[in-house]
Amino acid sequence: MPEISPKNRPADTARVAVVATGIVSPLGFGLGETFTALREGRDCVSPVTRFSVEHCRCKTAGQVSDVRLTRAGEPQLRSERLHRVAQMMILALGEALAQAPGFQPELSVVGTTSGGMTFGEEYYRGLKGSRVSTRSAASLIANYTPQKPVMDAQEAFGLSAPCQIIANACASGTNAIGHAFECVRSGRYQRVLTGGYDALSELVFVGFDSLQASTPERCRPFDRERSGLVLGEGAAILLLENFDSARDRGAKIVAEITGYGLSTDNHHLTQPNPSGSGPRQAMEGALQSAGIAAAEIDYINAHGTATPFNDAAEGKAIAELFDGVAVSSTKGMMGHSLGAAGAIEAVISVLALQNQFLPPNINFRNGDAGLDLNIIEKNSQPGRLRSVLSNSFGFGGTNASVIIRAIKG
Amino acid sequence: MSLGIAGMGWVTPLGSSLAGVWERLLGGDKAAVEAISSPLGPACNVLPVPAGATAQAPTHPRLRRSSVISRFAAVAGLAALEDAKLQLDADTAARTALVFAVSNGGVIYTRRFYHDIVESGSQAASPLLFPETVFNAPASHLAAILGISGASYTLVGDGAVGILALKMAEDLMRNETFDHCLVVGAEEADWLLCDAYRKWRLLRSAPPIEPFQTPPRGTILSEGAGAILLSRNGSIQLEKIAAGTNFWRQREAGDAVQKIFAELCQAETDLVVASANGTFVDAAEHAAIKRNCPGSKVLAIKGALGESVGASSLWQTICGAQSLRTQLVPADLLYREKGKASPPAGQLRHAVVSVCGLNQQVAGLRLAKN
Repeated sequence: MPEISPKNRPADTARVAVVATGIVSPLGFGLGETFTALREGRDCVSPVTRFSVEHCRCKTAGQVSDVRLTRAGEPQLRSERLHRVAQMMILALGEALAQAPGFQPELSVVGTTSGGMTFGEEYYRGLKGSRVSTRSAASLIANYTPQKPVMDAQEAFGLSAPCQIIANACASGTNAIGHAFECVRSGRYQRVLTGGYDALSELVFVGFDSLQASTPERCRPFDRERSGLVLGEGAAILLLENFDSARDRGAKIVAEITGYGLSTDNHHLTQPNPSGSGPRQAMEGALQSAGIAAAEIDYINAHGTATPFNDAAEGKAIAELFDGVAVSSTKGMMGHSLGAAGAIEAVISVLALQNQFLPPNINFRNGDAGLDLNIIEKNSQPGRLRSVLSNSFGFGGTNASVIIRAIKG
Repeated sequence: MSLGIAGMGWVTPLGSSLAGVWERLLGGDKAAVEAISSPLGPACNVLPVPAGATAQAPTHPRLRRSSVISRFAAVAGLAALEDAKLQLDADTAARTALVFAVSNGGVIYTRRFYHDIVESGSQAASPLLFPETVFNAPASHLAAILGISGASYTLVGDGAVGILALKMAEDLMRNETFDHCLVVGAEEADWLLCDAYRKWRLLRSAPPIEPFQTPPRGTILSEGAGAILLSRNGSIQLEKIAAGTNFWRQREAGDAVQKIFAELCQAETDLVVASANGTFVDAAEHAAIKRNCPGSKVLAIKGALGESVGASSLWQTICGAQSLRTQLVPADLLYREKGKASPPAGQLRHAVVSVCGLNQQVAGLRLAKN
């Protein structure tokens, strides 16, 4: 295993605290339900109900319950114009702000791939006359734009921070957290809201199906017989703050972000370089950013989509950089929520650190021949976690890794 | 930290040469409209990029199947590097970040892809088109062409997204890892966008685009790309970038724009490059200019180039920088001063670029000539 030479964090940079998180995903609404589902290794993938998948190979996804969304009790959710992904964002932000009352971000950096795409679909189908639009065309147009759910969530809580919406495909959420981390670390910002969101849409679902990237079977990240991903949806929020500022005001600090690395793999628009160089560069960058050695990472929440190429490249990079570190992909439980995935998995990483457990990689049976990964199979396990690395990789060759550290006591 | 413009490039409905388009703007040229047909309604007028404007696009395999938005971005991005006389090799590419701004993105392929699903079912969906529908596809192609293997971000938003991208670039440049950051904004026109903006009651059917007119009569969509290469020096400095704010209802746009102008116009401002495009946002911008910098010249370039959303604020910034560089202002695009001679040399030292987007985002920046 090559050495990553530990470098101390530069003296002129700030520490970055996570002071609150919020989450809505197929695993549940809120941190409590999410933790329970993770601990139980619950399979939350189900047959798609939102649109016809009759002619698709894949017929399942991780889905957020509409009934629960509209009954969640937040009066802001009842507006007809709101897209359901905006509702998810409002719930996730509400949960986070409840832990950090009065948190006023100077900047919001949030990731997505397609925002309220289903409104665009509804608009187009309305044009074609094949489905009567239930909303006015103007409302669909104004509310389908990818940045709108963040604006809606901010409006719901009276926030007006400028919004940088990162659309780096499936790495969007981790890129957003990473950039937000660097904004606070540089000392330019004291408080930044970050996260990610995406909702299932027919266009994206069929797109992955057309590429044969999604599977008609179970999603089995890192399994030798893996045959593709299933999609998911959700939203997750992390509130970041200058560590000293948060400590001085007596805020509860739930974790610390210590490192961020990214790379752009120019091999192909949709396929990683099989050498694993892209993921490796991102993970090495995160370790160097954190100033720690690979051996100090106790768990990797892998991107692990269960596509043959992605898992092979990521697995190779992990095996080369780390020596037996615990690895799991939580996408087998909930699907791949694209722009939300990095944020959801960062919140899962925080839960793992807070509760000292290793989330499982369900549906795993046998690993690739010659690839020695310490996969957390089937069930969650107790662990002793100091730092966790969370990976996200996407179309366009975008690769991002963040490192999150436990807070003692 | 000092942040300057090292190079600029653009692809516009008036062409793609930095000096050539600027000359045409100074000469009073306005882009010509072209009707594009819609299978579902009346034809609509847009200001397209002329075919020859992307003739110098690189013959890179990544552009073989890409949509025109990626070609626009490639031509503009390469032109900005050329303007800065920067040749990227492995070392310099590693020290260059890419920030891409887009609003509607690859709408042509997205519409075609979804059309096939609606018309023929999901089994007809094209695996070749789908990857090009992803917002960051143009950035990915440009990164591959330039050999950028480190930081590449795509930002989405409304017309303010270009300024937000410059703000992000400013934040990235705090990191000593980077010597340069290439910021590119791009957009492509399609009948579907026209239909949407028309239903949003923001379009007019035929020229002229009349910025700051009361009542607003609507805008005309255009397409193209703008690219700005940032470095820690350059003859034009980005003195301040206002990261922006949001408004929730149209009537609140005025307060949001006022906040930006109050931040940017604290010192003397010679020129405002406005985002006025003939829609409701003009009134908010007009009021803020009147209150914060009543003596400034006001340049409204969308009267000549149209509204290209994701590219527009980069075009505005380039026009602001060109005004400071050349000490000339396109007289025909000056609000209230049409027909007056361009200012004599030496008078333009500071320019403010303001953007009030159509979907709730507001931002701006302040340029200074060294």
